[in-house]
Amino acid sequence: MSKNIRNFSIIAHIDHGKSTIADRLLEYTGALSAREMQAQVLDSMDLERERGITIKAHSVRLLYKADDRKEYILNLIDTPGHVDFSYEVSRSIASCEGALLVVDASQGVEAQTLANAYLAVEHDLEMIPVINKIDLPAAEPEKTKEQIEDAIGLDCSEAILASAKEGIGTKEILEAIVEKIPPPTGEDDKPLKALLFDSWFDNYQGVIVLVRVFDGTVRAGKKIKMMATGNIFEVAQVGIFSPKMQPSEKLSSGEVGYVIAGIKSVTDTRIGDTITDVDIPAQEPCPGYKDIKPMVFCGLYPTIPHEYDNLRDALNKLRLNDSSFNYEPETSFALGFGFRCGFLGLLHMEIIKERLEREFDLSLLSTAPTVVYRVTKTGGEVIHIENPALLPDKYEIIEEPFVLVTIFVPKDFIGPILDLCQEKRGVQKNFIFIGKDKIKVEYELPLNEILWDFYDRLKSISKGYASMDYEFLGFRESDLVKLNILINGEIVDALSLIVHKEKSYYKGRELTEKLRGIIPRQMYEVVIQATIGSKIIARESVRAMRKDVLAKCYGGDITRKRKLLEKQKEGKKRMKQIGRIELPQEAFLAVLKVK
Amino acid sequence: MPDFLYVHIPFCIKKCLYCDFLSVTYNESLAKAYTDALCKELILKKDIAGQLKTVYIGGGTPSILPEECFGQLFKCLKNNFKFSDLPEMTVEANPGTVDKSKIGAMFSIGVNRLSIGVQSFNDDELRTLGRIHTSKEAEDAVRIIKNSGIDNFSVDLIYGIPGQTLDSWRDTLSKAMEFSPNHISSYELTLEKGTPLYEMIKSEETNPPSPASVASRCDFAKGGMGGFLANIKMPDEELILEMYGYAIDHLRGKGYEHYEISNFARHGFRCIHNLNYWDGGEYVGAGAGAHSFIRGFRLKNTDDIRRYIKDLNKGITPEAESTEIKRDDAIKEFIFLNLRKTEGISLAKAEEFGLNLPGVCRELIEDGHLEMEGDYLRLTRKGIPISNTIIISLFERLGLD
Ligand SMILES: Nc1nc2c(ncn2[C@@H]2O[C@H](COP(=O)(O)OP(=O)(O)OP(=O)(O)O)[C@@H](O)[C@H]2O)c(=O)[nH]1
Ligand code: SF4
Ligand SMILES: [Mg+2]
Repeated sequence: MSKNIRNFSIIAHIDHGKSTIADRLLEYTGALSAREMQAQVLDSMDLERERGITIKAHSVRLLYKADDRKEYILNLIDTPGHVDFSYEVSRSIASCEGALLVVDASQGVEAQTLANAYLAVEHDLEMIPVINKIDLPAAEPEKTKEQIEDAIGLDCSEAILASAKEGIGTKEILEAIVEKIPPPTGEDDKPLKALLFDSWFDNYQGVIVLVRVFDGTVRAGKKIKMMATGNIFEVAQVGIFSPKMQPSEKLSSGEVGYVIAGIKSVTDTRIGDTITDVDIPAQEPCPGYKDIKPMVFCGLYPTIPHEYDNLRDALNKLRLNDSSFNYEPETSFALGFGFRCGFLGLLHMEIIKERLEREFDLSLLSTAPTVVYRVTKTGGEVIHIENPALLPDKYEIIEEPFVLVTIFVPKDFIGPILDLCQEKRGVQKNFIFIGKDKIKVEYELPLNEILWDFYDRLKSISKGYASMDYEFLGFRESDLVKLNILINGEIVDALSLIVHKEKSYYKGRELTEKLRGIIPRQMYEVVIQATIGSKIIARESVRAMRKDVLAKCYGGDITRKRKLLEKQKEGKKRMKQIGRIELPQEAFLAVLKVK
Repeated sequence: MPDFLYVHIPFCIKKCLYCDFLSVTYNESLAKAYTDALCKELILKKDIAGQLKTVYIGGGTPSILPEECFGQLFKCLKNNFKFSDLPEMTVEANPGTVDKSKIGAMFSIGVNRLSIGVQSFNDDELRTLGRIHTSKEAEDAVRIIKNSGIDNFSVDLIYGIPGQTLDSWRDTLSKAMEFSPNHISSYELTLEKGTPLYEMIKSEETNPPSPASVASRCDFAKGGMGGFLANIKMPDEELILEMYGYAIDHLRGKGYEHYEISNFARHGFRCIHNLNYWDGGEYVGAGAGAHSFIRGFRLKNTDDIRRYIKDLNKGITPEAESTEIKRDDAIKEFIFLNLRKTEGISLAKAEEFGLNLPGVCRELIEDGHLEMEGDYLRLTRKGIPISNTIIISLFERLGLD
């Protein structure tokens, strides 16, 4: 039975056309009617559609009648290309035997092409190179092939030339999937062993989990056990996505589908866990995933304090759908009760915040993002600081995270890129040509330096042609200091940051200046100071407001005046009160504006 | 029962550039039809009012009405309303629409107070505002009124006009002083959305005009059509504050009492009608767009002049929006209206609302934004210009949403 199943992911650098290829495959196999079809149809989240990027991996089952006249079940997983979501790629890869490696023929191999290809190699996936966008005038399929062979060592003699836009190569892709990707090897008679690779909360059905069955079968009525958590459930329904949710009798070995099992609490499931039979459990679980560690942290606070419980509930539910972020309660003098949350990058942070606000109808305030620091206290105890305000006054050693940054760039732009890395305290580790025109350079850099404007500058220096990827190397000692911001003499903990000593004066000055621009004039003068230790390094002030409009009030139109006052009052609600001063939300993100 | 009556006359010769009052271009037949309708409304409302202490005919430009319309209106008032002794009867008049005979006629039918919309005695400023008159015509109008023997008139001025300087404001004030008016209103120019002045200023903020276009604009303006002289922008707030401060000091020095944020009067010449608004009193309004406050409801007649006339011709009261003033809103009104008066809020009255004002505004007092004197809490000189902010802070402190 499982001989006619093929499980594969579509992987690529961002924007190389994965979701559009998925569209063509869905269309060609008739999974969706023309009426149901829309561009990047698998990008079903509003946020994905608005931004035109894939954020979550999406899986769908296709039925394909191949040239050999047999019918195949194809389980496709479309993955995101942005580096912040590479966790989604690794989850998807673990449930497949093969992958389409898509490369944009006008861009060639880029950083995430390589990173994602390596993930596939690690999992022994059969990779099929697909050169996409050959319709573009700037397409250079031959060069692209050469780069793939050079950088990845993947034979491209049979690479498929495709244009997802014009539907070129769709059939060739489907045939290659059937021919080249091996069928799953599991056996239906063995004890159930299924990898839980995604889950989400549905208001009607409770928790829904997505699984890849390796061995055995799962059907309604079966008692299952989560191997890591030990929780036991009875299966209520199983089914597949085609791409609509469709119940089926059972999921057999090799298949991908969903399981609903009366899982009520979101804490009962863990992505990467293995589902097995209660009575005859599998010998050992699936390999699961590497634990990934968030690199970027920020505080999230409800703008309305009594929404704290709703926020906790929302975080709980969202975490079910994205296990790559984490959160812990924290309290701020300035902002009250909230959570310190960890993310894989800035885009990830932005997306999670937005999803919380949209999907759970919350209004949130976020503090400036920071990396995590490792601090050895005077007694020898080692702690991790995810919130700069919590850095102790005295410590032995402070270390910051370093990453290995891989940059792909056409050789014409290499000069300024090297300068940029130098400026950001980088140490060059590697420099090689990929094909004739592309260069791959590797640098060791402090994560903190690449978090803010690095990517934007890289893009603008290279007219958009450079791409980058990074991986965590470890913590290294650095000359770091804590910069505090005082508003009218009081430290605002949510504005503290840890900065490199050499740049601290500059940062302090820039930050106070930015804050002066952001904080509106109010009844009292607002004095903004930046301090390091007890030393004031910068000072700005916002003069007290001298006047508002003395609108007339005659002719008996009193209601209008009242409404005007109420409107002005409403505007103030969106501000955070700190002592007598009101800070707008942007103030907490001012540091992002400091270059 | 309300003892105060407001009557709205929504006609002007030409719309001023900053105007957001309800007013349309005057035409005689419309004005006559309107006066008929107004009289019908007054008759319908005659039993709502008590013994009138004031009648205030505002606009628009009430002085534009022909004498016979005034006659008709006043006859209707006299025949249908009861009056207290010596009621205050105000008419708003604009330069360029009054002459000796009209003023004389008004006084003969009972008008005893005039409020003259001079706005400025500077021709450039008048053009910027798009007024129909020159400073000379404004002087003439005030002189006619002064010479007619009436002592209760107000000269209404505007400060904060684009292009205005502290000197030109001083000149306008001293020109006003030459006529020794017993009342002066001095309003800050507010830019109202949708007015031509607003659009002009906003567009020049985004694209400053070239010197050439400014020059041609000057030529245009000199042709007397109204318009702008130079690159037009609002004076900066420090200058506006200086103008305001100058008016207060100067007028006080000349013996005027600064009795409301924007109003000054010699002893015994405060505007009783307007004080009633600030005291939170009831009033009846008649005319298109007129407001009333009766038994806890604030009402506003339809803005649509033709609709207004039509309704009354059918014998029904004109359509009106009504807002019930519930407890919280009543408290808010009590606070912001009373704070407009320099005398301030009576603490005894505040207590009737269950408000403990001294308790919640200690900080505001310490900072010098509010002060207490006797039974009254009032804005200080420092507090007046940011009264909105202070009022909002009071709302918050009182837990008013
Ligand atoms: N000209 C041309 N444009 C294409 C082709 N395939 C995709 N595109 C366009 O490329 C852009 C990116 O396509 P997507 O399918 O969203 O790319 P993706 O790889 O899924 O992107 P992420 O999920 O964000 O990593 C869209 O504007 C597509 O219309 C192609 O074959 N030719
Ligand atoms: S005179 Fe008064 S009501 Fe008439 S248009 Fe000018 S500002 Fe408006
Ligand atoms: Mg996509």
